[in-house]
Amino acid sequence: MGAFQDRGSRAYFDHNATTPVDSEVLALLSTWGQVFGNPSSIHSDGRGPKALLRQARKSVAKFLNADPLEIVFTSGGSESNNMVLQGIFNWIQTGQGWNGKTTSKRNQLIISAVEHPSILKTAEFLKRRGVQVDVVPVNRQGQLDEEVYENLLSENTALVSIMYANNESGCIFPIKDLAKKAHEVGAFFHTDAVQSLGKSMVDVKDWGVDFASFSGHKFYALKGVGVTFVKKRTSLESHIFGGGQERGRRAGTENLLSIASLGHRCEGFQQEMELEALQNLRDQFEQKVKTEIQGVSIIGADSLRVPNTSNLILQGVDGETLLMNLDVEGFSVSTGAACSAGSPEPSPALLAMGYSREEAQSSLRVSFGRGNTLEEMEDFVGVLKLTVQRLRQLKQEGHSLHA
Amino acid sequence: MLKTSKESSVNDRKPRVLVAMSGGVDSSVAAALLVEQGYEVIGATMQVWDYSADTCDIEEGHGTCCSSTDVDDARAVCDVLDIPFYVINCEEKFESFVIDDFVDSYLQGKTPIPCVNCNTYLKFDHLFQKMKELNCDYVATGHYAQIVETGNGPQIVSSEDSWKDQTYFLFTLKPELLKHILFPVGHLRKPALRQMAEEYGLPVARKKDSVGICFIGNKGHKNFIEERVPKEQLHPGRLLRYPTGEILGSHEGFHQFTIGQRKGLGVATGEPIYVVKIDPSSGDVWLGDEEHLYGESLKIARTNWLDSIQEGEQYRVKIRFQHKGALALVKKVDEKEVELQFVEPQRAITKGQAAVFYKGSQLMGGGWIL
Repeated sequence: MGAFQDRGSRAYFDHNATTPVDSEVLALLSTWGQVFGNPSSIHSDGRGPKALLRQARKSVAKFLNADPLEIVFTSGGSESNNMVLQGIFNWIQTGQGWNGKTTSKRNQLIISAVEHPSILKTAEFLKRRGVQVDVVPVNRQGQLDEEVYENLLSENTALVSIMYANNESGCIFPIKDLAKKAHEVGAFFHTDAVQSLGKSMVDVKDWGVDFASFSGHKFYALKGVGVTFVKKRTSLESHIFGGGQERGRRAGTENLLSIASLGHRCEGFQQEMELEALQNLRDQFEQKVKTEIQGVSIIGADSLRVPNTSNLILQGVDGETLLMNLDVEGFSVSTGAACSAGSPEPSPALLAMGYSREEAQSSLRVSFGRGNTLEEMEDFVGVLKLTVQRLRQLKQEGHSLHA
Repeated sequence: MLKTSKESSVNDRKPRVLVAMSGGVDSSVAAALLVEQGYEVIGATMQVWDYSADTCDIEEGHGTCCSSTDVDDARAVCDVLDIPFYVINCEEKFESFVIDDFVDSYLQGKTPIPCVNCNTYLKFDHLFQKMKELNCDYVATGHYAQIVETGNGPQIVSSEDSWKDQTYFLFTLKPELLKHILFPVGHLRKPALRQMAEEYGLPVARKKDSVGICFIGNKGHKNFIEERVPKEQLHPGRLLRYPTGEILGSHEGFHQFTIGQRKGLGVATGEPIYVVKIDPSSGDVWLGDEEHLYGESLKIARTNWLDSIQEGEQYRVKIRFQHKGALALVKKVDEKEVELQFVEPQRAITKGQAAVFYKGSQLMGGGWIL
């Protein structure tokens, strides 16, 4: 919908927003759908769904290198992020103590400047509830200021929440190292790892984190499922009270179809192979853009990035106008600022990285995924080049009906 | 494989139109007609005002143009038509060219027409730029107006539906833009247009017409201005009987009055009494009888002409949107001002409104009443 090409001829380059549902998953939906019982039921109809749930939990746990008991299914990344941030501070503020002590002076939350709104806004909420929130700056290359981070850590730090990779720049933060430092002062470490599935090797044990958030629909599974990894022997206050689902950590009858779809994806994913293909495509794209289009810079080009993401700043071009033009020509990309419809505000993440409003408004995020072909990419660069030239030309001509 | 139209390098593509869609039935049918006529159509809603703020207490079912459910309506229409749809944010421009001017006008004792500025600076300027940027050949709107080809280039003429005719709001258009403008519904009457909306299966076919000024809602312009302007910047003064000067009372700011207003004056005289004059220098508002509202001549400035007018000629001139138009003689034309004399005296000639000239049904242009 929404452009002059039929859907079959469109090219989708917005995999950091969401991904198409895997074809095997689509084929299995009707089978899973027949298993309709409530997994909590005692009777026989509860057995099938319970088995499906168990299988999915096992597959997800194996894929993340976690124990099935450490997997909590949620509705998605935003819920997982809310669950951890609110859960930790609810747990402290309701006097359930820290490491068995009944009181705790730990009241500090540390986050990065480029977190997802589900972290930033939860942090704002916690601030109003008296939590001390500190923000670690990120530079133009997408790198976290580790010196500031280390100075912020103290015995008052309760939780650090720093994303695995930024959704807009694709830049990866050194989670393993950051988690280690948080643990040195006795704080918990959470990572919003929504952008990791299908784009990086995922290993929560190796990362050494206490909590991590994941989302199914960024990984070719259905929308409406997320995962919170909760390391054994850590506690969280439940954020949805009700039945005892998810071992009492997240009440509500399980979203079985979505959960099964994520489990299936975790079983079939050829990690190394797919990551390499993505990296090849992205690198060739950037090479081509650099040679064919003038006045382009690539955010975080020299930093460690997830292999599918490329965020371009195209001088003198309005990103949103560019996006509309590309859409009409059959390409789905993003400006990185997926805020409310028509919001003129440039990406807060890019602004936080030190880009000017003008630069941020000239950004275009291209995020590749499985199924994208070299040919699509080459066609895209061709159209991008012509569109950028035309928009720059128009800008030069100026616009002065009512100057 | 990709079958993109390969950007502008291909010249044989279909003509492309950017349609300004308010979410109302007129612009929706405009888009549908263009699709049917074989254009490549892109729908766009200009987000001009943050209706989510509590500035707009519209009752359910009384939505005016561009409130946020209207954006959804426009999008739903584009889904039916299977065309692209985008929201174009123009809030800053709307604020400075439409809202600020609207407020300033009232603070100067005038009665503004924000819809003209919206056309001048938003639809036929900002959107025109978007037209170029999106590689379109035309901008289309759901205005009740028509463009016809004459020996003298394209000209705007009144719509078929004289009750709905909106050419009054279009007098500031630059003539050179006309070749890029389409008014696809100007030849239709409203009932026929609604019928077409039903036939196209458009979800807005039975939606109520928007009335009044979109950003004012139900609160009225007085409250709107008082919310935005500090009290000390309002202009209080006396209410005086015209022509005697008898003091009838006082008011807290002349922004609340408009020429010809009868209700809400705050004085009881036992006979119908009207605002006949607002004096911004003293703050005095003069109240008189019906007969005192009539005037025979006026001057306009900041004129715009789509076709040339001549001194000594008569034209039909509308002095407000709902005015039927009255014959007037052009007394004097110069670069800055035009002076005209009506054949019959006209009621409530009001500063801040426009005098818009017609020859037959052709829109000649006009200017702002001084």
